[in-house]
Order: sequence, then C-alpha cells, then structure tokens
Amino acid sequence: MVTLSRRATLLGAGAGLALRTTGARAEDTLKIGVVSPLTGPAAESGQFKQNGMQLALDAVNAAGGVLGKKLELVVEDDQTTNPGAVLAFSRLAGRDDIVAFIGPVRSTQVNSMAPDVLKAGKVMMIGGTDPSLTHLGNPWLFRCRPNDTYSAQVIAQFGVKELNKRKWAVVFSTDTFGSNGNKALTAALEKEGIQPVLAQGYTNQQADFTPVVLAVRQSGADILSSYFTYENDLGVFARQVRQLGVRIPWVGSPSIANTTSLNLAGPALYGTYGVSDFSADASPAAKAYAEKYQAAYKSMPDIQSSWAFDAVNILAMAINAAKSTDPQAMRKAVIAIKGYGGAEGEYNFDENGDGLHGYNIVRNDNGKIVFDRHIELTA
Amino acid sequence: MSLFLQLLFTGFGIGAIYAMVSLGFVLLIRAANVVNFAQGEFSMLGAYAMLILFAGLGVPYLLAFVLSVAVMAVFGMVFAGVAYWPLRHRGQLPVIISTIGASILLANAVLAAYGPSPQTLPGMFDNPGFEVGEVFMDSQYLLILAVAALLVLLQYLVFEKTMLGKKLQATSQDKEMASLLGIPVAVMVLITFAYSAAIGGIAGVLVAPILFVSTGLGSLISLKAFAANIIGGFGSIPGAILGGLALGIAETLGAAYISVPYKDAFGFAMLLIFLLLRPQGLFGERIAEKA
Amino acid sequence: MTRAATASPPQSNWRRGVPGALLALVAVLAFAAVAPAEGYYLNILMQASTYAIAVAGLVVVLGYCGQISLTQAGFLGLGAYCVALGTVDWGLPFFVALPLGMIVTGVFGLVLGLASLRLGGHYLAMVTISFQQILTLVLTNWISLTHGPDGISGIRRPVLPGLDLTGGRAYLGLCLAALVGATFFTWRLKGSRLGRAMQGVRDNEIAASTCGVDIFRIKVVAFGISAALGALGGGLFAGAFAYISPDQFAFNESVVLLTMALLGGVQSPFGALLGTCFLVMLPEWLRFLRQAYLAVYGAAVILIMVFLPDGVWGLIARRFGGRGRAQTAGAAGELPLLDRRAQPSEEIALKVAGLSKHFGGLKALDGVDLAVRRGTVHALIGPNGSGKTTFLNVCSGLYRPTAGSIALAGTDVTGMGAHQRTQRGLARTFQNIRVFRGMTVLENVMIGAERPGNDVWRNPSGVVSRAVGALQFVGLEDAAHLPVGALSYGHQRYVEIARALAGSPDVLLLDEPAAGLNLTEKRALGELLSRLKGHGLTILIIDHDVKLVQQVADHITVLNFGKRIADGAPGAVLSHPDVVAAYLGEPHLHEVA
Repeated sequence: MVTLSRRATLLGAGAGLALRTTGARAEDTLKIGVVSPLTGPAAESGQFKQNGMQLALDAVNAAGGVLGKKLELVVEDDQTTNPGAVLAFSRLAGRDDIVAFIGPVRSTQVNSMAPDVLKAGKVMMIGGTDPSLTHLGNPWLFRCRPNDTYSAQVIAQFGVKELNKRKWAVVFSTDTFGSNGNKALTAALEKEGIQPVLAQGYTNQQADFTPVVLAVRQSGADILSSYFTYENDLGVFARQVRQLGVRIPWVGSPSIANTTSLNLAGPALYGTYGVSDFSADASPAAKAYAEKYQAAYKSMPDIQSSWAFDAVNILAMAINAAKSTDPQAMRKAVIAIKGYGGAEGEYNFDENGDGLHGYNIVRNDNGKIVFDRHIELTA
Repeated sequence: MSLFLQLLFTGFGIGAIYAMVSLGFVLLIRAANVVNFAQGEFSMLGAYAMLILFAGLGVPYLLAFVLSVAVMAVFGMVFAGVAYWPLRHRGQLPVIISTIGASILLANAVLAAYGPSPQTLPGMFDNPGFEVGEVFMDSQYLLILAVAALLVLLQYLVFEKTMLGKKLQATSQDKEMASLLGIPVAVMVLITFAYSAAIGGIAGVLVAPILFVSTGLGSLISLKAFAANIIGGFGSIPGAILGGLALGIAETLGAAYISVPYKDAFGFAMLLIFLLLRPQGLFGERIAEKA
Repeated sequence: MTRAATASPPQSNWRRGVPGALLALVAVLAFAAVAPAEGYYLNILMQASTYAIAVAGLVVVLGYCGQISLTQAGFLGLGAYCVALGTVDWGLPFFVALPLGMIVTGVFGLVLGLASLRLGGHYLAMVTISFQQILTLVLTNWISLTHGPDGISGIRRPVLPGLDLTGGRAYLGLCLAALVGATFFTWRLKGSRLGRAMQGVRDNEIAASTCGVDIFRIKVVAFGISAALGALGGGLFAGAFAYISPDQFAFNESVVLLTMALLGGVQSPFGALLGTCFLVMLPEWLRFLRQAYLAVYGAAVILIMVFLPDGVWGLIARRFGGRGRAQTAGAAGELPLLDRRAQPSEEIALKVAGLSKHFGGLKALDGVDLAVRRGTVHALIGPNGSGKTTFLNVCSGLYRPTAGSIALAGTDVTGMGAHQRTQRGLARTFQNIRVFRGMTVLENVMIGAERPGNDVWRNPSGVVSRAVGALQFVGLEDAAHLPVGALSYGHQRYVEIARALAGSPDVLLLDEPAAGLNLTEKRALGELLSRLKGHGLTILIIDHDVKLVQQVADHITVLNFGKRIADGAPGAVLSHPDVVAAYLGEPHLHEVA
C-alpha cells in the first residue's frame, strides 16, 4: 500500500516536471506500474494479485534486486471499470521513472487501455485471457496466463479424448471473458466434428439459475462445460445443478477451481474438473510457490495470484537479461525467455506475447483441488 | 409439466426475496414518504451482522438472528438521523440522492472493512430441501415465503389495527397536521426507519444462504424489489408481496422460455408496461393532484 | 412553441452572453493549445469536458423542467455507440456520425418523455432506470450490432479538409469548444420562452397549463434536449478514448452524472460544469484512501445534499451574487386589453350549458347553466361545498366534465385541455395561490405574457414590457426582480392576477381572490377589480365575500349543492329567499331550476 508521503511524490511526478527534482529517492528503485482492481466487483482478485506480486517482489529484492536496485510497485486502482482502467494507466504512463507495467486480469480492461499502452511504448504483463489481446498488433502486451483458445482446446481435448463425451452443453457469461470462451470452445469442438447441443449465455450477477440448469437437463447433454466470471454466480449455479439432479461430468473454466468458489459452492463442486493455469502439483516450481504463499498468507494460493507472481519475476529476469530498462531491449528479452519454470507453468514466449501454451486439468476431490494432468498444446 | 412447476416454484422463491426487501421499501414510503435506495444495503448489513455474530463469535443461530435484527433496528435510526432528517423538508429528490449516497457509502465501507471475498452463511435448516414429485423445493425459499407472509400479517395488523400504525400513517400523510394532533413526528419517523431496517436485516439473513454474503448483495436485489413495489402499487403492502412474486415468476419463466441473457430485462419491461398502462399498480394509490 | 425559443430574457437581445461565450471559446482553445498533448491530464480533461456536456442535459430536464432522469449515462452511451459504430463499422465521417447520434438519441429521449405523460417523481425515476437497464442488456447481448461486451475499439477522431482534429490537443479543443457551446445553449435556454415554460412546469404544472403551457409537450422536449446533449457528450467521449464498452454506460454512471448535476447546482449549467469537474477529480484526489475512497465519495454525496442544497454553484452565486439587475423603469408597455373600453354587451363570451361533474357518487356539479356576457363582471357565489371551485376547474380544463358543454366566444372547448383553452383567451387565478416559486415576480408574469396567441408572445422585448406593464397595473413593478416567494400572500395574489392580465385574456376567471386577505388588502383588491371593470374586461369571479361581489358584479349566479339556485341581477338574486336560506344555512324550501 502506498503511503501518504509517496502520494505527494506521485502527484508531482504526474505533473511531468518534478521527476528530475525528486532526486535520490526516485533513483533508488526501479518502479513497476500496476493497474489493479482494488474496488468494484473484481476487488477480490485485486487482493490475490497484490499478494502474488508482493511475494515475488520480496524474493527479488532479498536476492539483491535488479541491476543493483530494488524493485518497487506503484499501484493504481482501476475500480474494475474501463474508464477507471484508462485513467489509472494514464496516471502511471505519465511517469518517466516507471520501467514496465503489470495490467489487469480482466480482458475488457486490458482492451480499454491497450491504445494507451501502445502509445506509452513499454512492456506490460497482463492476465486477461481473451485471445485477441495478443493479436491486436500491440507489441507491448505479454501474457502470463495461457489464453482462452488454449483453455478451450484443453477442455475439448480432455472431454472428447479422455472422457469420451460428444454431447456438450456450454454455459457462459455474456461478458467478454465468457462469450470469447464460448466462441473458442465451440471452435475447438468443431475440429472434433462436434456441435454443442446447448450453448447458453447468462448475464452476470444473477440470483437464480434454474432456467439455465433446466435447459442443460432438457438438452440431453452428457458433459457440461462452463465459463463463469464471478464466483457467486458459479456458487448459485453449482448448487442448483446438484439440486435439480444434473449428474453429468462438468469441466469448467479456471474459476471453478479457485479458492472462493470452493468456499462458496462447497460439496456442490465435488467431482468436477477444471482447467487451471495454476496447480500446486503440476511442477516443482508451482509446489515451491504454493508453499511460500501458504507460509506468507496462511491460505491456499489462487490463480489470481500466481500469474502476478510470475509477472514480477519475468520482468526482473528481462531487465537483468537486457542489462537495461530500455523498453525495446526489455521487450526482446521477454520474447527470448524460453523454458522458464514459473508458478503457472513453463514459459516459452512467442512473438505474439503469449508465454504459456498449455493448461492443467484439475479435479475437485471432496473439496481438495488435485492435479490430474497437464495438457500442452503446440500452437 | 414438471419443468414448468419447477420454474414456477423457483419464481415464487425469487419473488419472495424481492417481496421481503420490497416490504421494507413500503414501510418507509407509507410512514415517512421516503424512497430509500439504500434499502438493499440494509439487507447486506443484516447479513454481515449475522455473519459476524454467528460464524465469527459463535452465538447460537436464533439468538444471533435476533441480535442482528436488533442491531439493524438501531442502525436504521442512525441512518434516519444522518441521511433523512436534515433533508425532511426539502422534497423527495434530495432524499433520494442522499439515500443513493448512503448506499454507495455502506457498500464500500463494508468492502473496506471486511474485504471483497463473498462468504457463506448457513441457513436455518440443515436439510437443503426436498422433492415433491419431480419438483425440488429449496427449504430456504419455503422459509422466506413463510416469513414474508408472517411479516405482511404483522404489518397489516400494525398499520390497520393499532394506534401506533394510525399515528405512523398520519405522520406520512401530513407531518404538520400530525404534529398539531400531538403526534411526536420525530419519534414516528425513527420507529419507521428502525422497523424498515430491521425488516431489511431479516431479509438479508434469510437471503444470504442462497446468494452468499457479499457487499454487492444489496444492489443485486434492491432495484428489483423497488420495481416489484411499483408493479404491486406504490406503498401497498399486499401489492409489494404480489408485485414481488409476479416479478420473480415473470423473470424465471421469461428466462426459461424466451431468453436467458435478457432475463433482467423482463422485469423492467413488465414494469414499463405497468407504468404506462396501469400506473397505480395492482393495488395502489391514485395518482392525481387537485387544483 | 414549434421552434426552440431563442433569447427572450429580461431586458436583453440575441447578443446576450455572446461576448462572454466567445471569450470563453478563445480561452478554452488557447488552453487546449498548451494543455498536455497526451497522458493522464489530457484524459482527465477530456473525460470531464465530455461528461459535463451530458450533465448540462440533466440541468435541462431536472433543473429546469423538474423531471428526474436516471438514464443520462444511457443517452451518453447511445451517442457514443452511434459515433463508434458510425466511424468503425459503417465508414461514416465523425461529423456525420455525431449529429446522427444526437438525433437518434434525441428521439429515444422524446419517447421516454412520453412516459412522463402520466408519471412523475419516483415513477419517472423507475421508468428511466428501467430504460437504462434494458439498454445495457441490449448493448451487451445484441452482439451482431454492438460487438457485445467486447466493446468497440479503434474509434476514429475527425479529420476535416485542412484541419486535423486527431491530435490530443486539437481534439481536446473540440471537446472544450463543444462544452462552451452546450453551456451557452443551456444558459440561454433558461431565459428563453421555452426555458421559462419548463420552469413553470417544474414549479407548478397546473398553473403552467392554465398559462397556456402544453405541459406534456414541454416535458417531452426537455427529455429530447437532455438526450441530445447526452449524446453529444457521448459521441465526443467515444472519440476521446477510442474504445467503448457497455459497462461504461451502466446505471451506476447515471447515478454519478446525476450526482454531478446536483452537487454543482442543477439550476445552472455553470453549476453542472463545476459539479462535473469536482466529481471527476474527487475520486482522483481520494485515491490515497485506497479501498475506502468510494465510501468517502458516498459520504460526500450525503454531506453535499445536507449542507449545500443548491449545490456548490448556489453557494457561490449567493456569496458573490446579488448581481445588480438593471432597473426596469421605462420598459413598461401598455396593456392592450385595457384599451378595449368595451361596454357591457349582449354578446356571450363564455357559455356553459348543463355542466355536471360527478366524483364517484358525489354530484359536485349537477346540470349548471351559466352565460357570461362580454364586458361584464359575472359573480358565481354559493356556500362552502356548493361546487364553485369545481365549476371553475371544469371551465378552465383541469377537470373533465361528466356532462355538459363549455363554449368560449362561440367555440366549443369542452374537449380541450387547459392549455388549449388558455390559448383561446381564457385565464384564471387560484384560490390557494399557484405562483412559480423558483422564479422572480417578473418571470412569473412573463410566462403569462407568453401565452400562445397573445399578440406579443413571440417577441421577447414585447413580452418583457407587457409583463412590466401588468405589474405596474397591480402596483408591483418595484418587486419585479424579487423571488416571488419573498412577497406577502396578498401580493402573490396580485402576481397571479398580473400573470393572467399579461396574457390579454378575453375572459378572466378569478377563484376566490379575497380568500386569505386582511381587511386592507381586501379593500385594495376591491379597488383593483373596480379598475379592471372600468376597463371593460370580462370577468367571472367566485367568492364568499358578498360585499366584494356586490361592489363589482353586474350579474350573479348562485350555486348550492352543485345546482344553480338563482341567476340574475345582483339586487334580485341576493334577496332571493333560497339564496338567503342557503347562506343562513337553513334548508331551502323551494327547488329552483
């Protein structure tokens, strides 16, 4: 959290004049600008993200920092809204002393600030999984999570090849995340020659899902797949799925395996599968991260925190590799990262800026998320 | 058929939630002529009070329930003093804006204090529900329906059969005249706010096992409850209940048979139709001004 | 009222405020030229200026016309989507898409205004909320048209031949210039005929309708203007940020816009401007509070409502206001109706036949006939509850009769609304005074002079001099610039009479003008009525005060229990046994047709 005195610096810096005069203090650290939802509907994920970044930051700084300086985060609230995101980013972009950015986890907010990122011309690590974000011709966006085409392909592959199911029902939020997930999954299933028997969108923040659950029941589907944005929606839906007697296997988007969903839905999610970019048992790096997180925060790590943890580490690596904070050099250094084992998985950045190309399948085993398998795709 | 019955039951359940919150609205409209946009936040606060007392401090369920409602009653009076009393002579609009401000304040103050994670709160019964034929009946919905009916009866008795209710109504209709008649207007207003907040609290505690405890709990239902209120007839107690049930059923059936993504639109479209064709609602005040 | 009124403020002409506006225009363009060309401050400035245009729309619909609207963000969004879809999908130039958006949105505003026909207050609030919610759902779910939740990116800014407005500074200049234009328009609107009609509707719908204002049309127009201004702000917003999505125009934003208007002061576009700047900046200033800042924002809204009822601008205007208004001396015009010097004639000015009005089982009026001859003072008297005020309300069009007909100078007006009857020369005052409390004495009377059909109604300076003339007639010209609420009860009654006279009515209906007056005031009123009578005005007066009636009336009709019990010359009527009985409270013995 930023203190009052730093707030004064920030204001001065925003004016674009005070930079040179803030002197030694400003030179002491390398600053990373962060746009996070501290308020609004996604405020919870903002907290997980903060935890993840802090963990990586402390480790990097304890190990001597980057280029001999300590890293520092400058966090701005995007209020979980697009105008908020644009303003928060422009506040950061006005500062010359910020060397790189970490963006929001929600795709629509990344989208809204993307033109300004292009103008700012510095590396931004993002968590939004909308595939198009790294295909907009914006060279500065780098993704620390596998994008939704991969999650969709992994869901399709797992359901069709491993579970041998061909009658699919897809339930998705009509927001950016959900509707793109649905699009990607439909495309992935088409490759297997499958047309979903039901593709049902819903509007976020519902008090009841009975019509949706009954539609799934009536459709005769033998497998359910879902893209839920908010955990409370997922919780209500999951309970009604069980109450109304839908017993088919269920493979969900990452939110089905996150901490909040497990708390809210409880037994209703037992036996479900999820794709998860983070799974503690997927790799030694992930395991080490999970232990560290648990020690620091006394709770299980969340996917909202692991990508942010990796983002800080990757930026530190890139600056060290580039031996400078020159944006172009940093960009090349990020793309050059291959085979780095982060908490989320093995990073192999491609030219688009996508670092990860696979997903884990996890299973909810009576309330505990257990690693099932990793499916790596070759793009 | 079983599909339809299931939808109908769910519609009733959701409608009962709207109706519960709507009852709190009605009270304030009837007794203080206040349209309170923070009514949903009363429910949210009630749910948090229950969460702290029951899940946090381990107070037995029923005692925690009673205490939460009592806390809300006190809170209602504080709310009246801050957001309503200073504006009472300035017409409806300033009060509406002030309650909107209060709703932003409350939701975000709780967010700052308790964080954004939604929490679970158990219901009164361990049994989640039972099946009648092929229809699953959620026990919490049944409880809400029962409590809503009980509250309607209570409100009816208070308003129509007691001196207190008559004084409250007199205060609502004409504050000056009421005070000339020796009715302590300030006390009446405080009682109304306390009662309304308490009902909001009851609704919150009962709804939380279904919708979870989160800072967004209030906004999720309050607009719909407000709409239910108008459909039923502004300021009418039976109207609030019937409007709530009608809205819940219309939404659920509309979602099932027409379109799920437009589910929220059905309620509002129904509201618009009602406002244009039958503005006084199912049971309602006449809208007329005398020359 | 077909065209939006241009300037008709007190003692002014079309140039009023133009130099100030031009100065402001030059100032903002100069400012834009040195403003930051990109980054945070530019974004803040563009957000504030585009929002402020939309908030000016709220000043019109809420501040002037008194209709609550919680859908301004929806209008902002419609304008933004028209520009976004226009420039991205349909290949329209920016300056085609922007007015198109204003027209489309304006039409939505008009349609929404139709809902205000029967609804006010919280009902209208709910209608606008519903519209807002449905719009958000459509923007999100009608993906083939709106691109759905992804929103639209790559929105282009305008390029004119020889003028490239795509740069940060140039585009900011455009936004600020539009803001100056919108503020100027809104400010001028307040002093125009249309603006006064809106304020009349806001302060007292019934009185406005009896001044010839078509309430419904005025409300619809106010919604239309408000929507178009919202769309102008929205279109510029879309160009400013190059990316829009449905969640930017949701209900919460409407609440924010409403708060901006109220915070600054909803009576003035300058207040709206101030409120917008303040609320755009407030969350920014409060960022140091981190998670608590929205809570502080909510608390600030309550505090503002409690401590700044007229908004920040109201506070400033009070502190530095009292801007010395020019004297109106010399501006007084003659009242043409006083030149008629008509003699009492046999021509019937107002004819009522078989008029009945039933409220449920209660027969407030039961087959009443009455004829007012031109140039006479006709009195309608009767005990309390005899149906006098109901008669006047039916005559002036506020109530629909159950049966019977009303004709004004030979034209049947039974099916017409109050404003249409006023347009045909009927004017009235009210027993429980209905003045426009938010306005000055002069503005009150100007609304009367602007009665459609009045000889000066489209002539701004004529309206002012007519109004001053009417005030002079009742002896209130010195009070012209006082808020009407500052006058005594008796003087407010004179304002009502002046308001009616300024419209040069053919028939004036006076509803118990002596009610609530003290003895001195009653005497003065009697003199005023005698003067009016001396000028040959046709008057129908109802009152209890038999002395006053005797003093002025040429003809008296008596009502009791909704029936006419006597009609004729004053001496004969007042000595009629049934009338005496009715007034003494004894049961009357004879039925009189």
